[in-house]
Amino acid sequence: MKTLVLGLGNPILSDDSVGIRVARAVESRLDQPEVKVQETSMAGLTLLDLVVGYDRVILIDAILTTEGKPGQIYRLESEAFDTTRHATTSHDINFATALELGQRLGLALPRQIIIFAIEVVNVDSFGEECTPAVERAIPVVADMVMAELATSS
Amino acid sequence: MKRITIDPITRLEGHGKIEIFLNDAGEVENSYFQVPELRGFEKFAEGRLAEDMPQITQRICGVCPEAHHTASTKALDDLFHVDPPSPAKKLRQILYNAFYITDHVTHFYILGGPDFIMGPEAPVAERNILGVIAKVGLELGGAVINTRIKNHHIIHMIGGRGIHPVFGLPGGVSKGLNEEEVKEIQQIAKDSIEFAKLSLKVFDDIVLKNKEYVDMITSEAYTHRTYYMGLVDENNKVNFYDGKVRVVDPDGKEYAKYAPREYLDHIAEHVEPWTYIKFPYLKNVGWKGFVDGKDSGVFRVAPLARLNAADGMATPLAQEAYEKMYSTLGGKPVHHTLAMHWARLIEIMQAAEALSELSQDPEITAPDIRTIPTAIPDEGVGIVEAPRGTLIHHYFTDEKGVIKKANLIVATLNNAAAVNMSIKKAAMALIKPGKEITEGLLNRIEMAWRPYDLCLACASHNLPGSSPLPIEVYDSTGKLIKRFPED
Repeated sequence: MKTLVLGLGNPILSDDSVGIRVARAVESRLDQPEVKVQETSMAGLTLLDLVVGYDRVILIDAILTTEGKPGQIYRLESEAFDTTRHATTSHDINFATALELGQRLGLALPRQIIIFAIEVVNVDSFGEECTPAVERAIPVVADMVMAELATSS
Repeated sequence: MKRITIDPITRLEGHGKIEIFLNDAGEVENSYFQVPELRGFEKFAEGRLAEDMPQITQRICGVCPEAHHTASTKALDDLFHVDPPSPAKKLRQILYNAFYITDHVTHFYILGGPDFIMGPEAPVAERNILGVIAKVGLELGGAVINTRIKNHHIIHMIGGRGIHPVFGLPGGVSKGLNEEEVKEIQQIAKDSIEFAKLSLKVFDDIVLKNKEYVDMITSEAYTHRTYYMGLVDENNKVNFYDGKVRVVDPDGKEYAKYAPREYLDHIAEHVEPWTYIKFPYLKNVGWKGFVDGKDSGVFRVAPLARLNAADGMATPLAQEAYEKMYSTLGGKPVHHTLAMHWARLIEIMQAAEALSELSQDPEITAPDIRTIPTAIPDEGVGIVEAPRGTLIHHYFTDEKGVIKKANLIVATLNNAAAVNMSIKKAAMALIKPGKEITEGLLNRIEMAWRPYDLCLACASHNLPGSSPLPIEVYDSTGKLIKRFPED
C-alpha cells in the first residue's frame, strides 16, 4: 500500500516543529520502499496536492486545544474534522474542505487518513528546540507511526 | 460604559481574534484586532551566517516562503555590495511571478471570492470553494488546482528540490534553466494568462453585474481614505520584485519615493497597550490614531495600494484591466477596501504576462547567473512586494557576514492599523441597538478584513479547523454575548 508519512510544521518555531521532527525520526528507521516521508509547512490546498496518489496518509502535527496536557498524543481520523468547513487559516482552507474538494474533482485521494497530533505549548517564539514534554513525545509518536505502518487495511 | 482593560498577556492563545465592545446603548464603542506576534526572531537570527538567511527566513511563514526568500536574497545583494547579472535577476523574477500566481489565485478562490460568488448571507458551509464550484462549475475548481500545481512546479524547477532549496545567493542564483524547462514555463505562462482572463470574467459576471455587490464595494462602511505604498519600477509601474518604494497621499499625489536603504526615514512603528504587534505608520506625517486622512500617518499596502501608488501596470492586459477598474470605480485612488479583491486579479494577470515575457527572453538560459561578492559585508536592506504588501528585510553583520542584528517588517503588519480601522468601521455600520447579531452580519464584518489577505503565520496550519480570527462581541458590562464561530 502506497503510504505517505507527512510531517507538518515549522522547524524554526519551537514546538511547531514537532510534526517534522517525528517524520524525520520515522524516516531514519524506515526500510519500506512503499512508504515515503515528506515534510511541509503548508496547509490547505497544498496538502491536497501532496496526498493525491497515495493509498494511505499519516499526518503528524502540533495541536493546541483548550484542555490538553503538553505532550499529550491524539490519534485522529479525518472525520474528526468534519465539524467545520470554515477556513482554518486566514489564507487557505482547512483540511476537511480540501479533501472534499479533491473528492468532487475526482482526484485520487487516499482511502485512509490518520493524524497523530501532539499537544504543544510554545508555537509563537522562534527556536529550534521543542519544550520538554513535547520533546519527550517525539520518540513515542515515532513508535506509534511505525506500528501503524506495520498494519495494513 | 464600563471600561475594560485588556491585558495583552492573557490574549496570546496562538490565534488572533477580534473583540468588539458595545456601549450601554448597544452601539459599537470600540473594536480590537488582536494578532499574536511571533517573538524572538532578532535573538534567533543573531550569530547566524547572513548567507543562511534566505533559507531561515523562508521558514517564518508557511504561506509566503518565496517572498521572504527573495527579500532576504536582495538584502544579501545589498549587504555584500554586489549586483547580480541580468540573467539571475530574470530567473529570480520567474520564480517570483509564478509564486504570485499561486498565492493570489488561492486567496481569491478560497477566501475572497466565496463571499461574493455565494453572497455574504450564504451559510458558512457553502461560503467556500465547494460552494463556488457547485455554483460556477467543477471545471473552475479543476482550473484553480491546476494553475497552482503548474506554477508550484515552476517554483520547484527553479528553486531546486529538497527540504532546504538553495536558490537565492548574494549576487545571483544557484541554478539556471535548460531549454526544456523554458518550454514548460512558456506553456504554463500561457495557460496562466488564460486563467487570469477567466478569473477577471468570473469577477465581472458575478460581482460587477450585481448591483448589490457593487453598492457594497462602494459603500462608506468599507472605505478608508489613507496613504498607499508599493514598489514601482523606473516608469512608476507596478513591480513585485524591485524598484523604489512609492507612497501616494489620499488624493493620489506622490508623497514620497524612496530607495530600500531609506525606509527608516519614512516608516516608524507605533505601540498600543493591548497588543504586542507594532503598527507601522508614515513617520513624517505622524501617528494621529486609528484614523483616515491626509494628516494621519496610517498607510496601506498590498494589491489595491500597489495599484493606487503606481501610474499603471507593467504589462498590457493587466493595464487594460487596471483602467477598467479605475473607470468603473470613479478614478484614482480607489479607497474601497473590497476593491482589493479586484486589484488582486489584475495582479494575477500581470504576474502571468510577466512570466510569459520572461520565459521568452533568451537571456534566461545564459550561464552567467552569479556575481561573486568581494566586498566586506556590513549592512543590507532588501525590499520586495509580498502578495500581501511591502516586505522589508534589514541585516547588520560583522565583517565575516555573521548577523549582529536583523529587523523585518512583515508585509501584513503594514496593514495592521488599517485592518483594525476597517473592522471597527464595518462593525459600527452593521451592529445597531436592537438588531440581531446574525452569522451573516458577522460575516460582513469578516469581509472587512478578508480583502487584506492577512498572513497570520501561527495559524498557517492548525488541526482541527476553526476560524483564524473569531469575532467576540461584548456588551457594556463586559459579558460575551456572541461568538462567531460558535465552537
